[in-house]
Amino acid sequence: MKKSKSLSQLVLWITLLVGLFLVASPILWVVLGAFKTNTEIFGSPFALPQSWKLDNIITAWNLGNFKTYLVNSILITAGGMLIVFLVACPAGYALAQLKFKGSKLMFYFFLLGIAIPIQSIIIPVFYQAKSFGLINTLTGITIISAALSLPFCVFLMRNSFKDVPSEIREAAVVDGAGEWKSYFMIMLPMAKPGVVTLMVYTFMHIWNDFLLPLVLLVSSDKYTLALGLYSFNQENVTEYGYIFGGTLISMIPSLIIYMIFQRQFISGMAAGSNK
Amino acid sequence: MGNKLNGSLGLKRSLRNWIVVISFLSPAVLLYGIFMVIPIWEAIRLSFYDWNGSLTADLNFVGLRNYTETLGDPIFFLAFQHNVYWMVFDLIVMVLPVLLLAVMISKVKRGKLFFRAGYYLPAVLSLPVVAVLWGKIYDPLIGPINVFLRAIGLDFLALNWLGNPWTVLTSLAIAGVWAFYGLYMILFLAGLQNIDYSLYEAADIDGAGPIRKFWSITVPSLKNTMNVIISLVIINGFKSFGIVWIMTMGGPFYKSELLATYIYKAAFINNKFSYGSAGAVMLALVVVILTILFNSTREKGD
Repeated sequence: MKKSKSLSQLVLWITLLVGLFLVASPILWVVLGAFKTNTEIFGSPFALPQSWKLDNIITAWNLGNFKTYLVNSILITAGGMLIVFLVACPAGYALAQLKFKGSKLMFYFFLLGIAIPIQSIIIPVFYQAKSFGLINTLTGITIISAALSLPFCVFLMRNSFKDVPSEIREAAVVDGAGEWKSYFMIMLPMAKPGVVTLMVYTFMHIWNDFLLPLVLLVSSDKYTLALGLYSFNQENVTEYGYIFGGTLISMIPSLIIYMIFQRQFISGMAAGSNK
Repeated sequence: MGNKLNGSLGLKRSLRNWIVVISFLSPAVLLYGIFMVIPIWEAIRLSFYDWNGSLTADLNFVGLRNYTETLGDPIFFLAFQHNVYWMVFDLIVMVLPVLLLAVMISKVKRGKLFFRAGYYLPAVLSLPVVAVLWGKIYDPLIGPINVFLRAIGLDFLALNWLGNPWTVLTSLAIAGVWAFYGLYMILFLAGLQNIDYSLYEAADIDGAGPIRKFWSITVPSLKNTMNVIISLVIINGFKSFGIVWIMTMGGPFYKSELLATYIYKAAFINNKFSYGSAGAVMLALVVVILTILFNSTREKGD
């Protein structure tokens, strides 16, 4: 019995490992391709690169303006995360903890936004951005990215603040602390797991977004990493080596963040169920 | 007198309460209102007008003309069919196989976290990364699929996967599965953790085999997770855009056109903004109705 158990474990383990190799092989293929010359890419697509030269990556970095894209992505994502933190947390808190007429209605008002696909409202969003002068500006895309992730973020924070017992807030308010003070000093720290999930979700949402940058950003000096790779690919279709290099560059930041915040990532995305 | 004092105190308190509520909620309401609620309203309004997109041009009310034209366009209908195909493909290759994967990961004793993290990896990448990557995998010249097929002598099978009208949609859908399955795997893993372990012990005593246990314990216990995942797969099937836009732009010959690429093209390539809005409203209707439908069956099931 015991022997067959450990044998089945071994079979299971090997199956999973082989499967993982297959699933990860596209990523491995790009990483290897980034170090190959075009001759190698054509001649020996499955082999290891002859030498680990960074030529493709450096050329892609310079040719494709990836430094600008990276900086833009960081600014937009960080700004968006800050806005979401400052705006979604208090709103979720109010919906979960404060008693007022129409709070349920307000909750449904936000819920509506979760169901609406962005593709359906992208045309008026573009015109709204245009009338506010927010086309092709980093500020504009930062604000609008944050705004479009708000419905889910408010929903998420409302659920997190529901888990905090309301007696704690009442005690703090009776002690003379104002609502805002008790929110910042006591309630927000208690909802920390929810805030972490919120930040992971927002990071993924804004960092990886493609449609909004495609519609709102016009000149390449404003592009994000995701949009930049798209245009770099279009401009250099036949330069396989450079494209592999550019793809690798675009992958690295997400992979690093994923490795550091792996646990939070997985629970955050399970909560978000979105990409 | 005492009553009056209480009354004005109560009024003051309720006023203060409202100020607090407004101070917490108004930033979110404003941002969400300006960039989502107004656009939802505008999308609906625009769809009844004829408008070329210029801010100074006049709006002409045309009633349902945009809708009848959209519904009469065979390409719109084709796009809708492609979305349905995409959705059915995802339901077949994603739901049960990914559940099986999740069960295997939950059963393995060594390296559980390693496998979970590894299998989730593709889900971390942005859609442009996924699309560029798979665009090269399907490349007729250097793509590993064709290189492999040629190497084993199956040259006639080495197709131009994205250029061939018969293979393009499935090829794109496969890339989509690769990009999204990690999400569903995580949801299944979370669901598996909540299954009452004693059910399996009871089944062991009854002498049930692993396949029997899978169908009569695991699958029924995951009813809610399954419902969430199936609804997400269907809704995401209707929302697909990035992968297709980057890899084929809906081509060749509209053979990979989806509703979202159709709308995008109508509005931003052909400047038919009000026409595109009609398609956009119909897409939103489908997604919202599906969402409500799934939520109501879920609540009934609870």
